Amino acid sequence: MTSQGSRSSETDMGYGPGTIKEPGFRYRPMGRDAEGMELYEIFIGPQHPASGHMRIVVRLDGDIIVNADPDIGYVHRTMEKLSETREYLKSIPLFERATIIDSANITWPYVRAVEQMLGVEAPLRAKYLRTLLAEINRISSHLYGFGLTGIFINHSTMYMWSFGDREIWVQLAEELTGARLTHTYIIPGGVRRDLPQGFKEKALKAIRYMERRLEDYMKIFVYNPVTVARFREVGVLTKNDASRLGIVGPNLRASGVHYDARIAEKYGAYPELDFEIPVMEEGDSLARLLVRIEEIKQSMRIIKQVLDKMPQGPFFADKYMRLIPPALRKHVAETGRIKLPGAFIRLKPPAGEAVARGEMGHGEVFYHIVSTGDTKPYRVRIITPAFRNVVLFRHLTRGARFMDLPVIYGSIDYFPPEGDR
Amino acid sequence: MDCPRSGWIFIGRLEESARKAADWLVNKTPLRSVRDWSIAFSLWPVHFTTSCCGAEFAAAANPRFDAERFGFLPFLSPRQCNLLMIEGTLTKKMAKAARIVYEQMPDPKFVIAMGACAIDGGIFYNSYNIVRPHEIFPVDVFIPGCPPRPEAVARAIVLLQRKIREARYLKREKKYESAGEVGTDE
Repeated sequence: MTSQGSRSSETDMGYGPGTIKEPGFRYRPMGRDAEGMELYEIFIGPQHPASGHMRIVVRLDGDIIVNADPDIGYVHRTMEKLSETREYLKSIPLFERATIIDSANITWPYVRAVEQMLGVEAPLRAKYLRTLLAEINRISSHLYGFGLTGIFINHSTMYMWSFGDREIWVQLAEELTGARLTHTYIIPGGVRRDLPQGFKEKALKAIRYMERRLEDYMKIFVYNPVTVARFREVGVLTKNDASRLGIVGPNLRASGVHYDARIAEKYGAYPELDFEIPVMEEGDSLARLLVRIEEIKQSMRIIKQVLDKMPQGPFFADKYMRLIPPALRKHVAETGRIKLPGAFIRLKPPAGEAVARGEMGHGEVFYHIVSTGDTKPYRVRIITPAFRNVVLFRHLTRGARFMDLPVIYGSIDYFPPEGDR
Repeated sequence: MDCPRSGWIFIGRLEESARKAADWLVNKTPLRSVRDWSIAFSLWPVHFTTSCCGAEFAAAANPRFDAERFGFLPFLSPRQCNLLMIEGTLTKKMAKAARIVYEQMPDPKFVIAMGACAIDGGIFYNSYNIVRPHEIFPVDVFIPGCPPRPEAVARAIVLLQRKIREARYLKREKKYESAGEVGTDE
């Protein structure tokens, strides 16, 4: 994989003056580097056979990648700015469009930050319900990543299988919340709906099915000799680099760093549950795949525990329940569905700041909200995991072969709308 | 297209006459219906994901919804595709790429705009960085929803097939044909 000593990741990260003579090279199809070697520049995307949304500018020396430059911003939809023009509640559907495949996990820290400012805490049952949806979302997010990884290396079976199996988790989430992808389930004060009847049996059936399917995945995709040959020791991220570059999520844990925001932040029902954080030492693309497989198993373990331990009680904070008129309150008690009064949109946190973080399928998401005591936030800063992981394109592809690029892209599990916000 | 002087014969410009004759022949009923039937069942969308509706577009192609039974198969190169799906919000940067992809596709080509954002901005209606797709492409079918369900994608394919079978796609508006300006930098 590595040859001609092109991989010099320890010293030169590609930010400073490297082997390529800047400027002006970028716009020419061919040039020469300092040693007189011919370099080719290839533009991949934004129309390319995978998740799309981004362009990678690859400079090649023969078959060896000298530099791969991700050109992001194709899905920059100005969410941070738009959130300044909207009330706190209206920003929840806005932010979940950033990672539509993982929408509970990306909005949960936002809601927690708003709750901190409002001085309200969700009841215990709501915390369990949030954890339940977050783990369902994590599984479907990982399966989405698998499908794309499969199609990256032309393994159509993996795409079809994992997207077909993802539908089971999407359907479970739909049963719980009423929407396939954009749930808007987690709102300040609790959740929008109670647990539907017969949910536990369906979830346990899904878990039994998925456990069986994961074994099939291992046989046909992960431990397939072709996959192993293409993924093992490709795109190795050392432990030192992973922590120095600020990598988050499964990519960090595949490099041997035991860090997970669910453990570090102790939010939701996670402190009361028994689960492990899968960590691998290798740091290559195969390790990143295997960490995700293990995370799916742990998520299913969490779902089982949540369904067993689900406490009785209200699923919406009493402080806000009192805002609901008595006739509607009766309706809520009968159907288990919150009908919010119009006054709820005018939530007014006092002036101040709040931060919160949470673990998504792709990694850690961080929110910083500044309030001036208005109904709209003064500033919302989101740091998404995809944006923190995009640096890996530059770091991991140096010195790799050109055909390793799809593998590295797939194993990072980069989701461009999330990175561009 | 200019023809050399030798091309001028009694019927006028030879090339134009030949094109007219071919058009006349192809648009007669038996040939036309065969052509439209075959186009309707080989709609190949180009693999070009513009935004988050791509998640539901991918779900429409998965085994549960299986859009391939309509002859709908996402493919890689725009040169071999005849359908452009605008999946959700079109940002200014993406709109330039989308227009280039659209121009690379051979005729007859169709556009499906998916999601509320692709109709009039949707939830991002007041964003500074978005473009309405109908300003730069002739859109054949709009799918409402945010995001639309995969069943809605299947419905749009059926609607487009009906439109093709009735040959309604031939009446294109002239304003999209000048390919000079992308129209994204306002």
